[in-house]
Amino acid sequence: MKLDRLLAALASFRGDGAAVRDWSLLATESRGLTFGVKDRELGNPHAPLALEESGDVRYRLVWSDGRVSRGNLERRQIEGDLSETLGYARAAAYDDPDAAWVLGSRPMPEVAMLDDDAAALARGDTGLLADRLERVRSRIEREAIRTWSGSFSAHDSTARVLTSAGLDAQARGTVVGWHVVVNGEIGDGFSARRAEAEAAFEARLERLLELARRLERPGPTIPAGARPVLLAPRVVEAYVLGTLLENLSGPTVAHGEGHFRREQFGSGHPVLREDLELRLDPLQPLRRGTYRFTAEGVPAAPCVFIERGRLVQPLLDLKYARRLGLDPTPLPLGLDTLHFAGSPPLALPDALAAADDGVLVLSVLGVHTQDDGSGDFSLAAPQALGIRGGALAGRLRGTLSGNLFRLLSDGGLRFVAFEDEPTPGLLLRCRFDPQDSRA
Amino acid sequence: MTGELERLEELGAELGRRARAAGSFLIARAQNRSVRRLVVRRGTVEDVAIGSTSGQGLQVTGAGGRTALASRDDFRPEPTLALLQRAIEAARRAESLPGTGCPPPSLAPLRRRLLAADEAAFGRIRLDEVGRRLVEIESEILGRVPGVQLSVSFRAEIDAWRIFRSDGTDVLFSIPRCALTAQATSDDDGARHAVSTALFGPEPDLPWSERAAMFVRRGEWAARLARELPTAPPHAAGSFPLVIDYALAKGLAHEAFGHAAEADGYRSSVLARDGRLRRGDVVGARHVSVIDEPLAGDHAWQPISANGVARERAVIVDHGRLEDGLSDLWSAGPGGVRLTGAARAETFRHAPQPRMTNIRIEVDSPLPAPGAFEDYGPAEVRQLLSDAGVLRRHPRVAFLSGYSGGQVNPTTGDFVFNCRAIYELGRDRIVLHKPAIFSGSMFGALQSVREAFGPLQLDAIGYCGKWGQSVPSSGGSHYFLVLDPHPAVRLGGAA
Repeated sequence: MKLDRLLAALASFRGDGAAVRDWSLLATESRGLTFGVKDRELGNPHAPLALEESGDVRYRLVWSDGRVSRGNLERRQIEGDLSETLGYARAAAYDDPDAAWVLGSRPMPEVAMLDDDAAALARGDTGLLADRLERVRSRIEREAIRTWSGSFSAHDSTARVLTSAGLDAQARGTVVGWHVVVNGEIGDGFSARRAEAEAAFEARLERLLELARRLERPGPTIPAGARPVLLAPRVVEAYVLGTLLENLSGPTVAHGEGHFRREQFGSGHPVLREDLELRLDPLQPLRRGTYRFTAEGVPAAPCVFIERGRLVQPLLDLKYARRLGLDPTPLPLGLDTLHFAGSPPLALPDALAAADDGVLVLSVLGVHTQDDGSGDFSLAAPQALGIRGGALAGRLRGTLSGNLFRLLSDGGLRFVAFEDEPTPGLLLRCRFDPQDSRA
Repeated sequence: MTGELERLEELGAELGRRARAAGSFLIARAQNRSVRRLVVRRGTVEDVAIGSTSGQGLQVTGAGGRTALASRDDFRPEPTLALLQRAIEAARRAESLPGTGCPPPSLAPLRRRLLAADEAAFGRIRLDEVGRRLVEIESEILGRVPGVQLSVSFRAEIDAWRIFRSDGTDVLFSIPRCALTAQATSDDDGARHAVSTALFGPEPDLPWSERAAMFVRRGEWAARLARELPTAPPHAAGSFPLVIDYALAKGLAHEAFGHAAEADGYRSSVLARDGRLRRGDVVGARHVSVIDEPLAGDHAWQPISANGVARERAVIVDHGRLEDGLSDLWSAGPGGVRLTGAARAETFRHAPQPRMTNIRIEVDSPLPAPGAFEDYGPAEVRQLLSDAGVLRRHPRVAFLSGYSGGQVNPTTGDFVFNCRAIYELGRDRIVLHKPAIFSGSMFGALQSVREAFGPLQLDAIGYCGKWGQSVPSSGGSHYFLVLDPHPAVRLGGAA
């Protein structure tokens, strides 16, 4: 995207007698291709073959009177009347001293984000996507599956961050992903900066079909009450990591709205079990969450948020870093570059043996309705499997309840390794109320 | 805003001509959405953001019934025409892939213009004045309920669409949306709890309108709850007699019935058999109906679908029997339901899906509840129940107050939603409990509705995230509904 006109306009514009003193821009362009499948139909009107082109610029402007404006500019605005557009930005300026700064030039790390085969897919070379779609289709046809839907996609994007203080860095990256839902209720998939290896793709599909088969069988009868519950990695990502990240976010900490308090960061006082850690490494090559710099130009680097149960630092953009008197941090772009760990993980068979009479929870409903700050949870688990004699049994439905922060401080919590999953499962003890039990 | 869309007449006609010449069916969607948002905390403006989304999505269905959607974020003719060619070729190439296609039905063209009454008023919004007004509102709420953290925000949006079809359809409409929201968080040294509330209106002067007083009362309610919840005990798990307010009833209608009634899902929906809606089946009590319809000036109002079809009222459940589906061009025929123009899309980049607009539960012969909804705290609700004899039938009732979102699996009929608080209402006491998930099966839920109190209140708002697309949703019911205990409808449970 050509930014010359925009940069010239930033240099010359005057609004309300104020000029643009500092600015930070993130220009992105993307091109992509998606194959949609809805109820076995490829190119269904509700899940079409989609071709997409886009580009825009996110800006933060610091005016000569210290006020700040932020927003986005569409490609057509950048190519249109910029004085009118910057006039709107000036009209939306407000006092925000913590946001009134931009980063200067700094070295950016190199990391592999681009896969040439994925880029070819995004340009329209449909070979690999069509092949994988066909393999899913033909494999599912051999099963007693009522219906399936999904998507197979590839995108090629560029990002350029530049500031008035001399920062100017670019990155180009690809993303290839697939996701399939069978019988309208259980799904799996994979997304990264290059396509999943053949064997891993096949194995993931087989695991999904095995779970779908198990969900068709009735499960054991169990009474309501506290019992071993094994949260599958998708549940850990959706609820546990989602809640932790929300409570670690700079605005939540700065506004005192979360579970963790400002003074707990760096205090050396454990707030969770003393072996728990949460780290980010966006420099692992070709992951979904791999990047060179954040939207504001903070260089990617390994970073620790929780270590030995102690809070190290929140997730901080420029504004909230200044508000809290700390340095800005890299931010997670995908969960596959987060490392959430504790004691050495159990292998899945050992976890099942340790969770006799328990429940494997494959998915939960209602994550977005929970109160993140309290950690109290009350979630429906319509897709769960009983655990009997160290093996998976048939289907259970029920509700889970407890308090996440108490569970993350509990000595009985165990991490569980799942095949090809960067996020562990969690074996814990909480209340499970099966759907057919009585109060 | 709409001015740019007005100028697309010639381009729309040319797109239609080229699509017809290629033997394809085209729906071209141009969108221009402008958003302003401002947040106030602790007496100062914390954040302001302005932005827009605009561009075109060209949805082409080839002769074999395969659909391709190509999108681009500008309105220039040459790139748009080139994009159409790519979409036509993509749909054509898709014919060689396995499976069958889904050809569009023929339909009479529609030509209509429905523009927001005062679009210029959105251009006159002064964010500095909005900021000062929100600080006043924040101060008023905190003056009534000190000791909580509060954020107050205002969002104003105009969403304008022009939709052309290759059959000659040309519609232009714009949707104004404004909302005030407040979130209160307790700041005790102990546990924290957050409670939010909102007020919607189509007018950009909403913060100064008479209804702002209602928002302050809602904010006060949220702040009081946030202050009291950290020390509230959890509620036991199980099936109980329940009272839910109109916002939760909207959640019940939306999650339990609305999604399963969407006709694109009939090959797996629990409300369908062999791909067709189970019309006439008894799914609820005879005095209960579920209705979805566009209401002018509402948060989820969309008068014309994203496929250029007029949106119609749909009686999904008519006195306990399944009647209408929510359908679009492609799903109505195969689903065995009439076309209701229910297709909505988040942006021009997205493929439209059948979606709800304003959905409600209506009960025959509701009992009176005089005054405004905001007049009813737990003591007043208990009085209503006592006067109506409900507390003789059930000595203890769990009153679920405030909606905080939900989710459903339309395949199984499993739904969940959460409340802001639970009050145990007994003859001799009222006890506040922490919120808990409300889950169950849709059939049990609608069968268990017994009484309703008060007039319809349909301003409960939210956003619905079907297939990763976020669109505004709204709805409600009578002020309060009473649900008898049912084994398939449960409160989540104690920690």
